[in-house]
Formats: sequence, structure tokens, C-alpha cells
Amino acid sequence: MAADKALDGFGRYAGPATLILASLAGGAKHGYALTKDIESFAGVRVAPGTLYEALARLQGQGLIEPVESQDRRRPYRLTAAGATTLQAQLDAQRRVADIGLRRLAQGWGPA
Amino acid sequence: MNGPGVNGPGANGPRERAARLLRCYPRAWRARYGEEFTELLIADLAERPKSPARTADVIRGGIVARLTDAGLCGPAPDGAERAGQRARASLASLACCAALFLGLGGAIWSQLAIGWQWSAPDTTAAVATVVMSGAMLVLAGLALLAGLPVARAVAARIARGRARGLIVPSALFLGGLVVMVVGGRHFGNGWPGTGGHPWTHPGPVPGGVAAFAWASTLSVSSFWAHPAALAAFPAAELTWMALSPLALACLVTGAAAALRRTELSPAVLRFETRLARAACLTMAVFLGAGWAWIADRAPRAGSLFHPGVIDVAGLAVMALALATGWQAARQAAR
Repeated sequence: MAADKALDGFGRYAGPATLILASLAGGAKHGYALTKDIESFAGVRVAPGTLYEALARLQGQGLIEPVESQDRRRPYRLTAAGATTLQAQLDAQRRVADIGLRRLAQGWGPA
Repeated sequence: MNGPGVNGPGANGPRERAARLLRCYPRAWRARYGEEFTELLIADLAERPKSPARTADVIRGGIVARLTDAGLCGPAPDGAERAGQRARASLASLACCAALFLGLGGAIWSQLAIGWQWSAPDTTAAVATVVMSGAMLVLAGLALLAGLPVARAVAARIARGRARGLIVPSALFLGGLVVMVVGGRHFGNGWPGTGGHPWTHPGPVPGGVAAFAWASTLSVSSFWAHPAALAAFPAAELTWMALSPLALACLVTGAAAALRRTELSPAVLRFETRLARAACLTMAVFLGAGWAWIADRAPRAGSLFHPGVIDVAGLAVMALALATGWQAARQAAR
């Protein structure tokens, strides 16, 4: 699977999936910890249903994996494929952000 | 990181609410994610006791999970085993949709086919009946072709002593089939003008077949909306009207469960998927003929070939079943 295409099939879950991958890049976390971490760095609260739908899809694609735990709250961690996908996803977003910012700085003004 | 209020006073309230919300999800999903999802919900409920947006999100997530479990949506699965499971789930959903379609379609078709015996239909009704009859024949052939490899795989598994999980579905299927065949033949033979009686206008459909289809779909009736008229029916007929949908449900549920639980080779799955597409196209032809018949006449009572409101409603449900079945066939092919 090409890394930059990995989230193509996620549809409306591509955004939450990117946020989850970015959060797990900082270490393994369970559902509630993911919600709080994403809220702290992105300012959005991923609702439980959306979070677990995205988690299930990410796990199904082998981008994250559960960590063995005795706790009822199972943590997840990033896989190597997940890290590659996140890198590609963020690179693409950065390209868009760079272009947008450059154009704003250079030429934008009221018509 | 601990969620607030998880183990504190009043924790039972959020736990009970979380358990209720968890029921939105299918059993397999609950088995895999239930515990951890409940913990997340409890923490979220403790933090935000009232959140209609969260409730809506969980309900929506449950619907998506159920549709995914039924092989009707979701990303293409990773790995051959999961792809096979998904394809079988999709095909099982298609089988359920086709059964609903045929249950309602059979009622309309048998009504036209039997009507033809009493008075010659006009052109539109005649063409619709012939097209529907052809579609029914094709669908019966496709069902037979699709069922044989699955029946063979189920029988092989049972013969190898690996019957676990297949006994109940097989019993449901066979029980439903026996009840439908015996009941359909019994009540079909009792219908005047069929079962060996001479016809006024022999149509394209053998009388016994039309009568069997009519009797098998006797429960698809507008009489349910007229209890006084229904009360005048013979007790045996009323019992059959109530029993036959249950028998059909057992038959279809058993077949779908057996299909989901039986491993099929990639070649058989490809074959089944091609049949699924052909079945959808045939159902579309049947539906087109049905709508042509409806469009030619305003629904009203009083003639053998005039559609009733129940026929219009039936065709609408059939269109929905076809759309769902088509989606299942598409998912099975992924």
C-alpha cells in the first residue's frame, strides 16, 4: 500500500485518523488519553463513536496495533506502516499549507 | 491517564448509560472493542453528563459498525482471510435483500399470473407478467447456482466433523424450507382455478407454480389493514399468513448465517459475486416491469390487473432492497 494513499479509503474519518496517528506518534495511548491529547494539541474533541470507528479502520489497515494490557482500557501504538503513512500525510498537508501561506503573503488583496 | 469519575461515587449511572449506548454496536464489535469503548464512554459521560452530540455520534457509529459487519460499507479489508469474511458477509446481506425482494415480488407476480387465468390481460399487464416470469425463472436459476457450492461446502464441513456453528443455521434453513414447501403446496392446491382445475385463459406460468407463489406470499396482503374482513378468514389460512413469514425468515436467516460461517475458496467467491451482480440486474428488470404495470394504471380496486396501494408500497420496498443488495454486491467484489 502506498503510504500517501493509505488514508484515501477513510473518507470522513481521514481527519480523525490523522489526529490519532499524530497523537500516537508521541507514545501509546488508550481511548480517553487519545481524546484528551488530541484536544490539547488540535483543539478538537473527537467524539467516542468517531474515535473508535477511526481506530478500527486504522487497526484494520495495520497502521496501529493494540498493546497488551491488563487494564480494561486497551492502549494502541503506531506501527512502522502507520509512521510512514503519517509522515506522508503530514508532508502533503505541509505542502498545501506552505503554498497557501506563500500565496497569501505574496498576492492576496481585496479585488 | 485516568478518566474523571470512573471509580468515584455515582459511577453506576455512567456505566449503565455506557452499557445502553454500547448496544448500538453489533455483537462482534462489542466482543472486540466493548470493554475499552465502555471505559471511554464512562469517562466522557462523567466529564460531559449531557451531550446529545455524543449520543448521536455513538448511535451513528453503531449504525456504521452494523453496516460494516453486514458487509455493506467500510474500507477494503486487509488480507485474504478478512477479504473472504467481508465478501461472505456482503453475499449474505445480498441474499437477505433478494429474499425480501422475492417475497414481495412473488406476491405481485403471482397475482398477475393467477389473474391471467381468469381473464386475458391487456398489453402492458401481459408484457409485465411475461417479463416478471422470465426474471423469476432467471432468479430461480441463479439462486440454485449460488446455493449449490455453499451447500456443498457446508455438507463437507459437517462431514469432516466441523459442524460447530452450522447445525443451527442448517436446521433453521431446512425447517423453514420444509414449512414453506409443504404449506405453499397445501394452500396453493386449495386455490380455485389452479391445482388441476381447468383454466379459462392459460397464461405463460404453469398454474401450480403460480398458485404455489401466491400461497407462499399470502401474508403480503392488504387484509392486515382490515381486521374485520380478516376475522372472516378460515383459521388455517390465518395461521398460515402468520406462520409463513416466520418460516421464510428462518429459511433466509439460516442460509445467511451458514454462508457467513462457511469458508469458500476465492474462485467460489468470485463465482458467487458474478452471480450476485447478475441477480441484481435481473431484479432491476423485474422491478422495471412492475413499475411499468403500476404506471399504466392508477392504483384502485375492482379489477384483477389493477394494482393496489400494497403493490405500490411493495415495489417501493423492493427498490430499497435492490439498492441495498447492489451495494452488497459491490462490496463483495472489492
